[in-house]
Amino acid sequence: MSDVSLPAPSVMDRLTPGTKAALLTLLVGALCLALESATEFLPVWPEAWTLPVTEWIGVSLEWLFDIIRPAMRLISAALEYPMVWVNWLLVNTPWPLIIGATVALGWYAGGLSLALMSGVGLGFVLASGYWVEGMNTLALVFVSVPLALTLGLLIGIWSNESARARPWIEATLDLMQTVPTFAYLTPLLLLFGFGPVVGLIASAIYAAPPMARNTLLGLQRVEAEVKEAGVMSGATRLQQLVQVEIPAAATQIMIGVNQALMAALSMVIIAAVIGGFDDIGWEVLLTMRQANFGQSLLAGLVIVVFAIIIDRISARMATSRERFDVRISWVILAVAIATSVLAWAALPAPGDMAVLAPTVEAVDGALTSFTRSAGATLDSIKNNAMFYGLLPLRIGLDGAVLPFTWGFSWTANMSYALFAVAGALGIAVAMTGRMAFGMCLPIIAIIVETGVSDLPWPFVLVGLGAVAWVAGGWKLTRLVVILMLLIAISGLWPRAMLSLYLCGAAVIACAVLGGLLGLLSAVSNPAWAVIRPVCDMLQTIPLFVFLIPVLMFFQIGEFSAFLAIIAYAIVPMIRYTRHGLVTTPPEMLESAVSSGATEWQIMREVRAPYAAPTILLGLNQTILYAFAMLVIAALIGTTGLGQSIYIALGAGDVGLGISAGAAMAILALIADRIVQGFAEERRRALGL
Amino acid sequence: MTASAPTGTPAIAVEGLWQVFGNDAKTRLKDAQGRTGSAPDAAEALRDDGLIPAVQDASFEVKEGELFVIMGLSGSGKSTMIRCISRLVEPTAGSVRIDGEDILSANAKRLIELRREKLGMVFQHFGLFPHMTVADNVAFPLKMLGKSKSERRARALEVIEMVGLTGREDAYPRELSGGQKQRVGIARSLAANPDIWFLDEPFSALDPLIRRQLQDEFLKIQSTLHKTIVFITHDISEALKLADRIAIMRDGKIVQIGTPAQIVLNPVDDYVREFSRDVAKGKHACLDSVIETSDELPEMPDDPKLRIDMTLDEALASCMSCYQHVPVWDREGKMVGFVHPSALAAALQVDPA
Ligand SMILES: Nc1ncnc2c1ncn2[C@@H]1O[C@H](COP(=O)(O)OP(=O)(O)OP(=O)(O)O)[C@@H](O)[C@H]1O
Ligand SMILES: [Mg+2]
Repeated sequence: MSDVSLPAPSVMDRLTPGTKAALLTLLVGALCLALESATEFLPVWPEAWTLPVTEWIGVSLEWLFDIIRPAMRLISAALEYPMVWVNWLLVNTPWPLIIGATVALGWYAGGLSLALMSGVGLGFVLASGYWVEGMNTLALVFVSVPLALTLGLLIGIWSNESARARPWIEATLDLMQTVPTFAYLTPLLLLFGFGPVVGLIASAIYAAPPMARNTLLGLQRVEAEVKEAGVMSGATRLQQLVQVEIPAAATQIMIGVNQALMAALSMVIIAAVIGGFDDIGWEVLLTMRQANFGQSLLAGLVIVVFAIIIDRISARMATSRERFDVRISWVILAVAIATSVLAWAALPAPGDMAVLAPTVEAVDGALTSFTRSAGATLDSIKNNAMFYGLLPLRIGLDGAVLPFTWGFSWTANMSYALFAVAGALGIAVAMTGRMAFGMCLPIIAIIVETGVSDLPWPFVLVGLGAVAWVAGGWKLTRLVVILMLLIAISGLWPRAMLSLYLCGAAVIACAVLGGLLGLLSAVSNPAWAVIRPVCDMLQTIPLFVFLIPVLMFFQIGEFSAFLAIIAYAIVPMIRYTRHGLVTTPPEMLESAVSSGATEWQIMREVRAPYAAPTILLGLNQTILYAFAMLVIAALIGTTGLGQSIYIALGAGDVGLGISAGAAMAILALIADRIVQGFAEERRRALGL
Repeated sequence: MTASAPTGTPAIAVEGLWQVFGNDAKTRLKDAQGRTGSAPDAAEALRDDGLIPAVQDASFEVKEGELFVIMGLSGSGKSTMIRCISRLVEPTAGSVRIDGEDILSANAKRLIELRREKLGMVFQHFGLFPHMTVADNVAFPLKMLGKSKSERRARALEVIEMVGLTGREDAYPRELSGGQKQRVGIARSLAANPDIWFLDEPFSALDPLIRRQLQDEFLKIQSTLHKTIVFITHDISEALKLADRIAIMRDGKIVQIGTPAQIVLNPVDDYVREFSRDVAKGKHACLDSVIETSDELPEMPDDPKLRIDMTLDEALASCMSCYQHVPVWDREGKMVGFVHPSALAAALQVDPA
């Protein structure tokens, strides 16, 4: 061996990082299982190792809040004025005028189609009898959005100006967007007191980051020579910003405005859980609690209508330069004013409108009879999914396989058999050269046998650390391990595992289903023509509304939450998969075609590898969406961190709210960094 | 300070100028210089370190009213050079003086003043403000100078006419062709009537016909305005047509500075020779680049009356039938030297390289 100049590679050197990581994880898993019964501290994180972090956070925050509360109360009192004022204005402005103004704006921005959409949409709101509640919600949006825009613009400019502050600002923005929405509410509630101002502030905080990001992005994307032309003209820095760079970045900034509007609307509706304000979100919640689904569907649709109108008009104004004849807008407005003035006395009050009441009743009736007649089917869908899918994943085959569901009970021998089969299969696969994949099989067997929520903590810690090492090297591993230990020490580990399980299950379902739909959309234009508007729709609907249909059919419970998460989180997976697959550079396709590849060979050999980084980014988005929805889904019965956050909100327990929110953010952050790491690695491998 | 600059002070004086892109460039450049001693070696060392020495140890002067052309292949550092001179990027080392004033130590306020009043620049990729009309783009430097609205509009229309874009003043940049955009850029840089004018490939997006027209127009403007100009181009015939002097750059280094004739007739290396390869030298070089002088006059039986400012082509045509040395005269009729017809023919040979 020593006579060759190059040392022969050792076994370890020949293994790919993936194989090494899988090997380590497998070893730790096997060790944990073997010692499970012998040791106390392996299966569950021992009580004695936890610190009362939650209480500490609670105590110190309450101490801090006591100090700053007077100032905060002043702010909330100050915000009360514009809110009440805008609210009064919106509620008391004759509805023909509001509809007319919106239609006029819709026409100006997008012509006939947007004008019609605005008219029909607001007509529906009027007919639903939810006009006043709707205006109450909009009042919150219209006060919080200017705050969010100002804040976002300033933050964006600041991070553009200061290279030193930029990484910190970006990290904060990341955090603001990963910390679950409900988690904001508890401290705000304690600081600002009970009332709609909390919703207003929460939505301003929630809506500022997209504005800040887009502002920064826009400013950075202004062509270097355009900026330099400003400099060479002798503009001062302020002149450059105000007269050159911000106007040149206007399109991107307008996209930020659009996103901020949508975020604010979504948050205002979520904030309705605080209650005490007669807005449309509250209406949904109330009717949902009364199981009055026809009504909550109607209220939900009102929200959807608002979301669509706001989104489409602001998006059109951001991205299209085309404007329609403003004179027609004036005419529409004039007609609206004339109607309001002349026919005011004759017009019915918007709150008394009940045109849709019969429809609602009919829908309610139909729903009731449907759930009654199809109840057995729905129940069996739910039960099958629970007993044979979700439950085993959660508590493992050893816990979920019971005589009254599976027909037999799980024994230790079955576990051994499972491990043996998985091990043999794994070795067989490893022999064909796919070492890492082969080793994943027994790992999967361990997870399925034990269940995510019962996995020994060292196994999870090492497994996540190993994956992080493959994705991003030692630095990422260190981050992941430290953050996970933080969760464990604060005693939130079991709840975090429950969240991880539900989120993981939903993400896997999204990945499979969304991947397939994305593939279908990529190969078939008719399919995309159907799927695309559905995706657009799903992305416009505020989180909250997703709960209504699943609740209607599947009642409160984990399965409903699971479905709601999928419905919300699947969209990015579909979009990115399709986008990745259809944007393969033409010259690569041409060279494949000229090599005589068939359509499917091209898909497998060229398109799919090229699309991998994009698809991974889609998966990343899906994961973040899933975490966001997980918290909202706590409203309809999930366990884990989401539930803790929701409970904390009800009890005003800021310590629990913040620490559970932070744990959730940590999980999301870890998933985000790992997937981004893989995407980055793929991009580098493809030379992109 | 500028007014009192003594006559003869170069408009632009660049000395030992370095622009190195990369992290921590200043200390690493010093370090590399200390280690290696010579500029090319230091540049090589920096390059090995993963830094980009876009301009290396450049020194030259541009006289007032001179039209100085920088030529070089893509990526050779031409644009970076004028960015350094105008301090759009902060040079890593060296000094730049404009009318004797060290602009690298000028403070922000003084820089703004200089740019408002003295410097104008045409950008390679136009750098037009996308949200402003042609007229507003052109008037922008005037706005910075605090001129009134009507004054701005009047002056803008004047320069827009000068570049032949009358009628398009209310169009937006996105509605213009590449060549039209380029002319807006030129108009904008002229609006505030700068003394020193940087042009980065200002005619590159134009078709040959318009290009020639604009070059002629440009020479005409220059003959009346006498600006100090630094002009970047890829095109050797453009360089030869316009330049008082040409600097040739390669990989960040200035390899040769000289008059068009010197560049054409005495290229310092193959790189420079390659540029002028296809140039009809007889049209660009004058007799002064080939004459000999000596105390001892050779036998000169013929005198085809060659004048020192004749191009080589003209000279060769006049002494077609001569086989021995012929005298060369200056404008006043004094003999300044002599030349052998075969030397003329040799100078015109296209280089074999
Ligand atoms: N901001 C920058 N950061 C890093 N490298 C840069 C930067 N600007 C220019 N360079 C590099 O410096 C070198 C010189 O670039 P420069 O733009 O000056 O070339 P050029 O001679 O103008 O070329 P062209 O004729 O294509 O315009 C190039 O290698 C370029 O990649
Ligand atoms: Mg250039």
